[in-house]
Amino acid sequence: MSGAAAKMQRLLAMVPWIAANDGPQVDEVCARFGLTPVELARDLEVMWLVGLPPYTPDALIDVVQEGDRVWIHFADLFNAPQRLTPEQAVALLTAGASVLALPGADPAGALGRGVAKLAAVLGVDAQQVLDVDLGGGGAEVLDVLRQGVAERRRVHLDYYSYGRDARTERDVDPYLVHAEDGSLYLLGHCHLAGGERRFRVDRIASASLLEATFTDREIPSERAVFQPDAMDPRVVIDLDATAAWVTEAYPVESVDAQPDGRLRVTLAVAAEPWLARLLLGLGPQATIVEGREELASAGARAAARILARYG
Amino acid sequence: MSSPKLERLLNLTALLLNARTPLTAERIQRDLDYPEDLSAFRRAFERDKDELRAMGIPLRVEPVPGRLPEVDGYRIPREEYALRDPGLTVDELAALHLAASAVQVEGLPTTEGLLKLGGLVADGGQNLGVQVAPLPADPNLGRLFGAVSSRSPVTMRYHEVDRKVDPYRLEFQRGRWYLTGYDHLRAEERNYRLDRIDGAVTLADGPSFSPPSTAVPGRARGAWELGGEEPLIARVRIGGPQAHWALQHVGPDHVVEEGEDGTVVIELPVTNRGAFRSFVLSFLEHAEVLSPPELRDDIVAWLGSVR
Repeated sequence: MSGAAAKMQRLLAMVPWIAANDGPQVDEVCARFGLTPVELARDLEVMWLVGLPPYTPDALIDVVQEGDRVWIHFADLFNAPQRLTPEQAVALLTAGASVLALPGADPAGALGRGVAKLAAVLGVDAQQVLDVDLGGGGAEVLDVLRQGVAERRRVHLDYYSYGRDARTERDVDPYLVHAEDGSLYLLGHCHLAGGERRFRVDRIASASLLEATFTDREIPSERAVFQPDAMDPRVVIDLDATAAWVTEAYPVESVDAQPDGRLRVTLAVAAEPWLARLLLGLGPQATIVEGREELASAGARAAARILARYG
Repeated sequence: MSSPKLERLLNLTALLLNARTPLTAERIQRDLDYPEDLSAFRRAFERDKDELRAMGIPLRVEPVPGRLPEVDGYRIPREEYALRDPGLTVDELAALHLAASAVQVEGLPTTEGLLKLGGLVADGGQNLGVQVAPLPADPNLGRLFGAVSSRSPVTMRYHEVDRKVDPYRLEFQRGRWYLTGYDHLRAEERNYRLDRIDGAVTLADGPSFSPPSTAVPGRARGAWELGGEEPLIARVRIGGPQAHWALQHVGPDHVVEEGEDGTVVIELPVTNRGAFRSFVLSFLEHAEVLSPPELRDDIVAWLGSVR
């Protein structure tokens, strides 16, 4: 888009607003439309030359700036802004729907009303046509975490650790709540683990604010996920071609194609239940070739435990 | 220091918005500040038309009434150009601004849209308290949303098959965009992953459709529902310690029984058995499929293959 087009789009939005607001403050126009007073004056200059044939003074738009206010007259042709393009509409509704879908959001609040009005002029029912899920969790839990982050207060969590299949209580200095790939996460310093950890908000059964505060708050650019070290045990697994996605989704350390077309991968293991889940999910597509006894049998033993329920 | 091009584009828009009947190129050349040389005019006019269309201005090309042989003319229908005033209050506009600053779709700026709605109103230093990674864009997202809003059927290539689809609804789940719609070829409602649509979606001919009024989702669907298999209703028992996060995942509406020890029985509609199996197995020995027998047998057979 040319510079002229970008300026024009802003004018087509700004002119109707100024005209409808009967001499708004220059400062307010500048704040709303992202301009400095000098830029505003320069942008509006062109409107003097806009109108209809025969372009005599009475057929041109009139811009009046007096003191700190600005008026636009005879701009009936531009008395409404342009409609939103589908891209602009979907971007705004997505933003609104995402925030409204966060745990504890108030659908009757300002955002909910704004989204409903916007959807109405677009001719849609926002809830029917668009659904954005950034991740779930308990509304009260999220409230506590947000407050902890904002006030730098330590929180106490009742947390279900998926990787270890265990429920634990722990104190955490909450740094940040973030949404990624459909889940909400808390990033913080865990006093139980003695280091930075990431917690899924929907696996926090309850959270409470503690009195203790923290100051050390260096948020690393890399999110803390499992990073294997030399001490973690390794296993070697053969994967069918249909399970090749594992090499991208898991931190595999080596991949070797086998003569039979399978892939032999080496994987560092964070915890036994984690490996068991991977093997259960892969079923016949994976075979363990190497690994300490309790890891090599992790999948088969987990399968046997589950099968016991099915009698 | 205003640009002659900006001035001409604005006057062109004014002229065409004001026109009750389509105006000929000849007339436009005469009324506006275009070159007199015909080929220079044509080049400049073509560029201007492209610019207006790129801004989303609905520039129509229609035959000029009463002219024989037929001559094309141009106009901008006011009813297609103008945004109806949504009547947003200052706090509603500020809330939209805050949401738009917090949640971005890659490559789809929200500023232009907000300017049209009344500008960027400050949110009083509020903070969402959740940092959101930008949502991935999809080249078909805007067009599909346009089709959903105008209830226009679309044609698209998906899984090697050309299909005609009535697009009902867009969803963003677990990092991906999905479309739900009625597939004319399969004669049923289907889900599509946008990143698996081959090439560009196009608007199909034919009348607009009426979307079903019954679909009130309200909550994200699970991966086990995002498939095209024969639907089954599965009953799953989940043990106490895991019940909490299972419910976070599926929502409380699916609970059909609650035990005193916190154990729950949930019912799930399944159209993707592979995804359902993965979901159930992720609970290890804390979950058990109760019914129907085919899903129960499926889990048992699968577990027998784990080595």
